[in-house]
Amino acid sequence: MRILVIEDETKVGCFIKRALDEESYAVDLCEDGAKGLQMALNTNYDLLIVDLMLPSLSGLEILKGVRQARIQTPILILTAQSQVDQRVKGLDAGADDYLTKPFAIDELLARIRALLRRGSTESPGVLQIDDLALNPATREVTRGGQRIELTLKEYALLEYLMRHTGRVLTRPMISEHVWNQDFDTFTNVIDVYVNYLRNKIDRGRSKKLIHTIRGSGYMLKAD
Amino acid sequence: MPLRVRLTLWYGTALALILIIFSTILYVITARSLRDAVDQSLEETAAAAVRSLEERGFLPLIDEGELMSQFPELARIDKFFQIFSPSGTITIRSPNVKQHEMPLSRQALEVAYSGRSLLEFAKYPKEPPLRLISVPIIYRGNLLYIIQVGTSMDSVEVTLNRLLLVLLVSIPITLAVSLAGGWFMAGRALRPVDAITLAAQRIAGGDLTQRLTVPASADEIGRLTNTFNAMIDRLETSFRQIRQFSSDASHELRTPLTVMKGETELALRRPRETDDYKVVLESNLEEIDRMTRIVDELLFLSRADMGEVKMEHLPVPLDTLVEDLHRQASLLGQEGDIQVVLRTTAPAVVLGDELRLRELFLNLLDNAVKYSRPGGTVDIALTIELGHAKVSVTDHGIGIAQDDQPQIFDRFYRTDAARAHTKKGTGLGLSICAWIVESHHGRIEVQSQVGEGSTFTAILPLAPASTKRPLAGR
Repeated sequence: MRILVIEDETKVGCFIKRALDEESYAVDLCEDGAKGLQMALNTNYDLLIVDLMLPSLSGLEILKGVRQARIQTPILILTAQSQVDQRVKGLDAGADDYLTKPFAIDELLARIRALLRRGSTESPGVLQIDDLALNPATREVTRGGQRIELTLKEYALLEYLMRHTGRVLTRPMISEHVWNQDFDTFTNVIDVYVNYLRNKIDRGRSKKLIHTIRGSGYMLKAD
Repeated sequence: MPLRVRLTLWYGTALALILIIFSTILYVITARSLRDAVDQSLEETAAAAVRSLEERGFLPLIDEGELMSQFPELARIDKFFQIFSPSGTITIRSPNVKQHEMPLSRQALEVAYSGRSLLEFAKYPKEPPLRLISVPIIYRGNLLYIIQVGTSMDSVEVTLNRLLLVLLVSIPITLAVSLAGGWFMAGRALRPVDAITLAAQRIAGGDLTQRLTVPASADEIGRLTNTFNAMIDRLETSFRQIRQFSSDASHELRTPLTVMKGETELALRRPRETDDYKVVLESNLEEIDRMTRIVDELLFLSRADMGEVKMEHLPVPLDTLVEDLHRQASLLGQEGDIQVVLRTTAPAVVLGDELRLRELFLNLLDNAVKYSRPGGTVDIALTIELGHAKVSVTDHGIGIAQDDQPQIFDRFYRTDAARAHTKKGTGLGLSICAWIVESHHGRIEVQSQVGEGSTFTAILPLAPASTKRPLAGR
């Protein structure tokens, strides 16, 4: 899951990025409003976290710009103002949720999970395909009731695949949603990580879940 | 008691008093002038009778038929006459009093003997009140007759009674009508006051957007309304400023809190290396310093607002101060390889607080260094112009946009460029500078071009020429 954080307070942006990194999200950080809007319009993010008070372009204007471009990505706004009217304006301009600074990291993460869940209505939290289950809240992955330990990137890759089961996911799509902008697309890192996942999930099982689609990419499906 | 009732009562009492005094005077004057008219006519008639008797040599007294022809007016009007002998017995009387018994009073007889006339009121049984004049006729020292002319006071009494009745009826009616009118007028005059009270109640309830409708007339109420509205304007402005200020203050304080809370929570989420904890603690310390600075500056400004900041009023040699600060700023600039140059200086003494002035210039110099590009220069100049000392600090840094310039002295105002350039500012430094300059009766100006740099100039009035320059090294 790839997230864009637009926050001008360097330190605040940094710790949000670190917290999200540790949760295996791919995070891009931007300190400028206008630049942030460009990034949001050019890249297919899964979630935007936007501070309302920003230089060059306010958070509200970013919200309006994103929604005008018909991008339905969930947006969480951060606001230092405890005033109700700021939040109301933000929500009316197209934000999906808000957090008032200072906030608890756990709450930020829970809200991010809730917003990401909203995209696919059929999943009530725990993602499941066949006997493979993934719980985004606890980041616990099990197959056939047996717990599987994954690294951060492996987990992120699996979560992305599980949120889009039955669909062909190309390497650019995977890199866009699982890695951040520092990722070099011309390497075979994706294939390497898919292989890691295969080893942990499909090895020794009669039913394979991860399928390679020749010339396109990968797909997660039960049959 | 409501003002309306009081006004009406005062008005009514005054009017009642005036009416009663007026009526009393009217009654007395009328009564007196009526009696005077009666007396005068009695005297004239008596004089005519005496003259007629004198013409006849007082002798002998004729019968009444002849008498009536002598005094024809007696028959027409309600006068009668009687002629008494010196002993007081009636010798002749006019026919209109034939049947009446009206003897001469003792007093009249006595006065007649002394040779004078007497006017008296008389009341006989079965008679209306009478007014009588008794005139003695004296010939060669002897009292021959006493002529008495009288008339009924009936018509006078009736007139006076009628007047009294009119007054007694009309006074209460006039008073009642006036009171009703006064009550109505007072109500009308006081209605705008009620409107003001209602509006004031709404405003006291917290709605500062309320205004009174200003009446078209420029009377007392109009002036009150305008004054009231002006007061609410100022209240609303200062409330808005306070709201803005506290919202800004809370924002500025929330940011370091957010950083500290976030970084600490993140560090505690799982076990980490010692160095990681160190980084978090160092960062937190920075934020604590930032909050301390904001709180200190806020406290200073709020004390300044309350007039609680003590200001010295002593001669301060600006040239010495500026030279000293130049050395200090040179050290500040070393880190970013920024040269601080003292361009011009002049001997100048101002009256004020040296510590505050030092803070003012240090703030300006610190800003200039902060916003300079590495390797740049900061210029200081002290000049004298028209009785004022001008201290200007010029940097060649990022500059301030034209639109932002009027607001940079506002509390917590920081331009986007300033925010992006340095995270350390509190947004209060220039407010404090402005306050210091103003409390020295000076002003502060800014000239700036984006990308070229800014010049801040503090203009302070010079001390009077007689002021002694303090000893150096104080």
